[in-house]
Amino acid sequence: MLADILTADLISSAVRMATPIALAAIGGTICERSGVVNIALEGIMLFGAFMGVIGAMFSGSAWVGVVTAVVGGMSLAAVHAFASVTLKTDQVVSGTAINILALGLTGFLMEVIFGHPGTTDPVSRLRPVFEIEGPTDGAIGTAWHWFSEIALSYTPIVYLAIIIAIVGHWALYRTRWGLRLRALGEHPRAADTVGISVTRGRYGAVIASGALGGLAGANLTLEQVGSFTEGMTSGRGFIALAANIFGRWTPGGSYAASLLFGFADALQIKLQLFRDVIRIPSQFFLMLPYVLTVIVLASVVGRAVAPAAIGKPYEKG
Amino acid sequence: MARPGHRSYAAVATGALKELAVPLVSVALAVLAGSVIMLVSGFDPVAAFAAMLEGAFGGGRQIGETMLRATPLMFTGLAVAYGFRAGLFNIGAEGQLFMGGLAAAFLGIALAGLPRPLNIVLMLVAGAAIGAAWAFIPALLKANIGAHEVITTMMFTFIGRYIVSWLVTGPLKAEGQIPQTEALPVESTLPKLHEVLPFLADSRAHLGFVIAVVLAMFVWWVLKYTSLGYESRAVGFNPSAAETGGISVPATTVKALCISGALAGLAGVTEVMGVHLRLFDQFSPGFGFTGIAVALLAKNNPIGVIVAAILFGALSAGALPMQLEAEVPTKVIFIIQALIIFLVAAEQLARWVLGRGRQEARDVG
Repeated sequence: MLADILTADLISSAVRMATPIALAAIGGTICERSGVVNIALEGIMLFGAFMGVIGAMFSGSAWVGVVTAVVGGMSLAAVHAFASVTLKTDQVVSGTAINILALGLTGFLMEVIFGHPGTTDPVSRLRPVFEIEGPTDGAIGTAWHWFSEIALSYTPIVYLAIIIAIVGHWALYRTRWGLRLRALGEHPRAADTVGISVTRGRYGAVIASGALGGLAGANLTLEQVGSFTEGMTSGRGFIALAANIFGRWTPGGSYAASLLFGFADALQIKLQLFRDVIRIPSQFFLMLPYVLTVIVLASVVGRAVAPAAIGKPYEKG
Repeated sequence: MARPGHRSYAAVATGALKELAVPLVSVALAVLAGSVIMLVSGFDPVAAFAAMLEGAFGGGRQIGETMLRATPLMFTGLAVAYGFRAGLFNIGAEGQLFMGGLAAAFLGIALAGLPRPLNIVLMLVAGAAIGAAWAFIPALLKANIGAHEVITTMMFTFIGRYIVSWLVTGPLKAEGQIPQTEALPVESTLPKLHEVLPFLADSRAHLGFVIAVVLAMFVWWVLKYTSLGYESRAVGFNPSAAETGGISVPATTVKALCISGALAGLAGVTEVMGVHLRLFDQFSPGFGFTGIAVALLAKNNPIGVIVAAILFGALSAGALPMQLEAEVPTKVIFIIQALIIFLVAAEQLARWVLGRGRQEARDVG
């Protein structure tokens, strides 16, 4: 039975499941590196997921949906930036308000546009990037099956997330943008003194995290599911924040940590197929990612150091 | 007669008005913004809010329904407010509420045949205890290694909901198709208020409302006059100063988050004992999350929680009549809720707008 569980598609499924978490986690990394906590990622992802479906439905193109999802995420994030940077509101409270707002807005608009609550009509999805016929016989066939499943079976945003993780990681440590971003979160006064605008820098970081959160939502609706269901993010935004901490506030680390959560999710789905053999109620499998999040936080937090100025509004003076 | 050392009644009244100004203006602005959203979406906001008002306060039955919906929000609002006072954000009140409901559904059957007052007390205590227990691990993780309670209590909410979902579809499932527990025997339920207050007609308001109001006053007293409350507030206000003053921050953190969990647990107990009389998967439409809005609107004052919970109870009781008469989707109340949180939290908004106005005047002049 183990051979039935540990298959190539378990690994590819883990990568797919990790993608929305990773995108939001990298968003969280960028945001928190600038000194702003972003609890709103859950709501941003949900709103992006919904806007993606709306864009795809009215244009007939899933790619337009990706753009509307990203813009939707950025606009909610702009509200968070305004509240936490300009108005100096408690960042966790502002994030919570945005999460409730996203829940209300998506539910309300769904009934206005579709005339019913629950799940939207299906829309066209993004196709996998590579669709190559390979050998199917013998050892070469098996090898090709594993390789193509693990490396070539994904839709565009899955690859995009990997690229964003690599480029983001490089940029955080090797570019002027990355240095400035880190300065904002570690020592905003020093950054201010050398002429970096804390306000502009933080706005940029929060809105960038909104773009990534929106993209995560687009991955959910336009690549994984093909429709929107109310509350469909089911805590992924919060899991992403844990992944960001586990990844020690780096894009690469965030991606790697998200793979762990993606794997828990993939395993959970896989094990449910064997429900007749493994007599454990499905709810215990569904719990797995959440339990894992707590364990990960419990084991790592004491040793991971957050940006020094995180959560604190900057007072010029 | 003004006594020396005491503020005059006028000063007290002005102070209270100032305290109330932000919440009142916030609610008014949120309603206004909600109206604009309704207008843009092609609904009639006047008809909508009229239907909502009628549905929430139009008569004895309606008032009773508002009280019914305010009850769990008072408990979760108190839970979140107590946490905030100690510098903790218990976003997971929803999970503690689910565990409280579980305790009630389980114990209510087990205690069948015992006297009703005894059952009520035992079930309330058990619900509070399991709510506290559900907050205990996040509290320990927060106190000892600093794991953020927002993430951990949220995760425990999902875990708790799956445990309830498993129990109502499996081990505790009643006979029949629907995944729910057995109905509680009458001695394990809370009496309806209309039995003593005929004015409330056939509304479903129950004793839980009275318990919640009394508890709010008790929590107010605890925060203001006991050393437990003082320590919680000191840690919330300035942890390092509290530590210097000889208060153990980790111990206080654990206590405060567990008290918060206990209060949220009571919301679940009273919902099961007073309204549904059994447990099922969807028995809370997010009372734990609305409790956050209640606490913020009340500025974490337990007495304010009573008023804020009634306001949100009215919103919720009026939502369905609003949908039936003005066809506005009930979800609009979430939008209004979120706007209220923003506006209350962003007291700066008023100052920012005013300051900007002044600056522009200066730029022009």
